[in-house]
Amino acid sequence: MRLELKEITKRFPGVLANDRISISVDRGEVLGLLGENGAGKTTLMNILSGIYRPDAGEILIGGTVRNFHDPHQAIDAGIGMVHQHFQLVPVFDVVESVALGAETVTGWLGTFGRAAARRRVVELSEQHGLDVDPDAKIEDLPVGVRQRVEILKALYRKSDILVLDEPSAVLTPAETHDLFKIIRGLTAGGTSVIFITHKLGEVLEVADRITVLRRGAVAGTVKPADTSREELANLMVGRDVDLLVSKGPAKPAGVVLSVKDVQVMNDRLQMAVKGVSLEVRAGEIVAVAGVHGNGQTELVEAIVGLRTIDSGEIVIGGENVVHASPRRVADLGVAHIPEDRMRDGLIAGMTVEENYILDSYHRAPYSSRGWLHAQEVAAAAAQGVRDYHIQTPSIDTIASSLSGGNQQKVVVAREFSRRVKLVVAAQPTRGLDVGSIEYIHTRLVEQRDAGAAILIVSTELDEVLAVADRIAVMFDGRIAGILEGASATREAVGILMGGGE
Amino acid sequence: MTSGAVAVRASEMGEAERRELRAARGRGLVIALLGAGALWAASGAFKVAAIFSFWLLEQGGAAWTITTTVGMLWLVAGSAAIIIGGMQAGFGARFPWRQSLFVIAPLYVAAILGALLDGQVANMTGVFSGSLELAVPITLGALAGILSERSGMLNIAIEGKFLVGACAGAVAASATGSVLAGVLFAVLCGMAVGYMLAWLGIRHQVDQIIAGVVINIGAIGITNFIFLRVLAKNTWLNTPPTIEKIKIPFLSGIPVLGPLLFSGTPYLYVMLALLIFFSYMLFRTRWGLRLRASGEKPSAAATVGIDVIKIRYHSMLLAGALAGTAGSYLSLSSAGSFQMGMSAGRGFIALAAVIFGAWNPVGAFGAALMFGFSDAIQSLMSILGVDVPPQLLNSVPYIVTIVVVAGLVGRVRGPAAAGQPYTQG
Ligand SMILES: Nc1ncnc2c1ncn2[C@@H]1O[C@H](COP(=O)(O)OP(=O)(O)OP(=O)(O)O)[C@@H](O)[C@H]1O
Ligand SMILES: [Mg+2]
Repeated sequence: MRLELKEITKRFPGVLANDRISISVDRGEVLGLLGENGAGKTTLMNILSGIYRPDAGEILIGGTVRNFHDPHQAIDAGIGMVHQHFQLVPVFDVVESVALGAETVTGWLGTFGRAAARRRVVELSEQHGLDVDPDAKIEDLPVGVRQRVEILKALYRKSDILVLDEPSAVLTPAETHDLFKIIRGLTAGGTSVIFITHKLGEVLEVADRITVLRRGAVAGTVKPADTSREELANLMVGRDVDLLVSKGPAKPAGVVLSVKDVQVMNDRLQMAVKGVSLEVRAGEIVAVAGVHGNGQTELVEAIVGLRTIDSGEIVIGGENVVHASPRRVADLGVAHIPEDRMRDGLIAGMTVEENYILDSYHRAPYSSRGWLHAQEVAAAAAQGVRDYHIQTPSIDTIASSLSGGNQQKVVVAREFSRRVKLVVAAQPTRGLDVGSIEYIHTRLVEQRDAGAAILIVSTELDEVLAVADRIAVMFDGRIAGILEGASATREAVGILMGGGE
Repeated sequence: MTSGAVAVRASEMGEAERRELRAARGRGLVIALLGAGALWAASGAFKVAAIFSFWLLEQGGAAWTITTTVGMLWLVAGSAAIIIGGMQAGFGARFPWRQSLFVIAPLYVAAILGALLDGQVANMTGVFSGSLELAVPITLGALAGILSERSGMLNIAIEGKFLVGACAGAVAASATGSVLAGVLFAVLCGMAVGYMLAWLGIRHQVDQIIAGVVINIGAIGITNFIFLRVLAKNTWLNTPPTIEKIKIPFLSGIPVLGPLLFSGTPYLYVMLALLIFFSYMLFRTRWGLRLRASGEKPSAAATVGIDVIKIRYHSMLLAGALAGTAGSYLSLSSAGSFQMGMSAGRGFIALAAVIFGAWNPVGAFGAALMFGFSDAIQSLMSILGVDVPPQLLNSVPYIVTIVVVAGLVGRVRGPAAAGQPYTQG
């Protein structure tokens, strides 16, 4: 079914999120939707799926005008949405999650026909190659599988227009590859797909047409064959973007972080880090590469004091921090950019300004004798917002209403606002647009050249190869190998990531 | 490419299992030590008789009596504990130790009871039916709590609804001379209070705990006022007809069980029916699925077109009706009139039952029975003149709740979004 959005406008307090946006998708087509953080992609899709009401504009499906007052009407019209933040009930199993809202019932009490629903789920997952255990609980599933559940949800409702909002941000390369296969299978069957991403390579690979948004308006629509990464990046940001970080050779000095034979357990009391030794020197960037779930998360949490280690030694700037509190670690000059910004990086219900001083509210100039100094706080936060180009209506905006990428910038701006000796950055650019990635990479290199030691954990090969001076690949809780950044190849890192020799 | 993660899990199972085994051995040892204590107690108590009697066909009629000795009771309890402790240590994590506690605990209760009675006859039909009677309002209140919390609304105003229901029920029943009218009016008033709580929490996003506290205090104030200013002068408004016990034909003729289960007030039967009904509704129907989704992850429910706000209003109205019914039970069943503050904290006990029962109606009923049982034992003790400080007995259920919630049940988790206001974009 052909879908058209015409002149859609949506205003939030202080932001024009969608400014007369028109896009269209044909039957069986994949439309790539690009745009920097805060460009209005998610807002537009929320309007399409009936969650938000547009201030102006209309939605046409197969030529007829449809205006949705609630998600139900959008679902009935065949629109399926996989949200940027998954919308699944953690304690439900797969069958319940998929059927929720579209249950078939029997009897006058409305008994949920679980057996029938389960059959449909199994049938759909076989038909579309979506490998899922129908009886597994959502909270026990890895993100890649949760995403398949989300897609199943859309298929279960017979959606013929499927929206995927940054589906690959949390996926491994192999999972992304599987996802593309699924998308191609669906479009071959006549489904239209809108695919939102920040990864230019992916959109060039999978999309039939690409529409780029900038600051709430359409900046252009192109065909993958007629464009390039550079042109797309330029359209998104409105200027040329360096897709490769420019940096000089590292000048490593003394050891800042030393990790020796460290063993760490995960939450399920299994050994996740099984004896890792690693050194990071002042003035170098070390990247820990690897597929998600090989112990990187636990290693980072151990270093910054969020997780106690089972054995081994962690020394930062000459001080043993094995039993140090997170604040003590921070006071040693450690900046931490956590993997899950919504859980460990920000307090979602507090303002940008409050989040900006979370790590140093207890110190001058922000406070003295327990009293906060509102002016200093506001001035510093405003400066951070300017320096990092954070798109927010004001510093009093609640952090959760910022777009994902801008939330990440708040974290980075805060962590770099102190004098930093060591930066521990887990997935520092997850969900960021190319412009912001360039910006954050430049800042990391800047910190390095100013003499900080930098440890980056990333699952993105591109990122690792772009910024690292040395690359340590983690597999199954151990360091599988350490490579020199300058001479490392995609293939060499990839093989180590898979555990190969 | 999740193989990496799987590999981590498989190769590290060893460590997790070793920990489990160590914990199991520790638990086994503790249980076995308890058993040894019981055996020691048994050694001196074989001369003391323990006599439990049950009414056979009707209360006050012929009785069936079990006669044994306190020593014997301790011996059985102790041996069971030692065997179960041993099995726990031997089989490790595979042994269903939580369930096994349901075997040990009653045996210990019987032994302790026997020891306290010191040879006197204990009529257990009285104790058990007393427990059931007391469990009625607590279970109804807990059902109210479960429905609201499962839909995402914290409901600590059950106590207040009890009071309002009790007062409304007594007045309406007295005025009309009909018990049914009393119950209906109590239900309506309960729903009104429930609606108010929902309106504060949903529409105005008042913190749900604070709204609940306000309503509880308000309910005390209003019912006290009505009692002192209206009912004290017009006693005809506070002399309701009381609800009669009904013997269910045929079933009440079953020996032992008849007088216990099938000769109670209609409230008992209604409560049991609601218990089964809501267990089914919550876990087997579309209604329940949507209600639970609203309480666990409202945004997920909303994105598939479920009206979270409506569900929460409805569940609060239902909860109000249930708590109102429980309130009317207080004034229309046993007491025969409304008294100031007559809910006496039972609304909060209902909340404890919600947690103890892990937000599950049947579990909450079990907890309510336990609370009722300890109350009934206490009255038995005072009738028989056994010298145990009532405060001590009174506090036992709460100590058990704390122990169970903190340790035994493990990670009981309430609905994830309970208490969080939900706003649609
Ligand atoms: N509920 C809301 N209330 C207020 N402002 C909002 C709300 N949702 C989005 N915004 C604002 O609207 C703008 C567009 O946000 P949107 O989430 O659509 O961006 P996006 O293109 O999806 O970005 P990202 O790539 O970072 O996810 C942002 O400036 C954001 O702060
Ligand atoms: Mg978005």
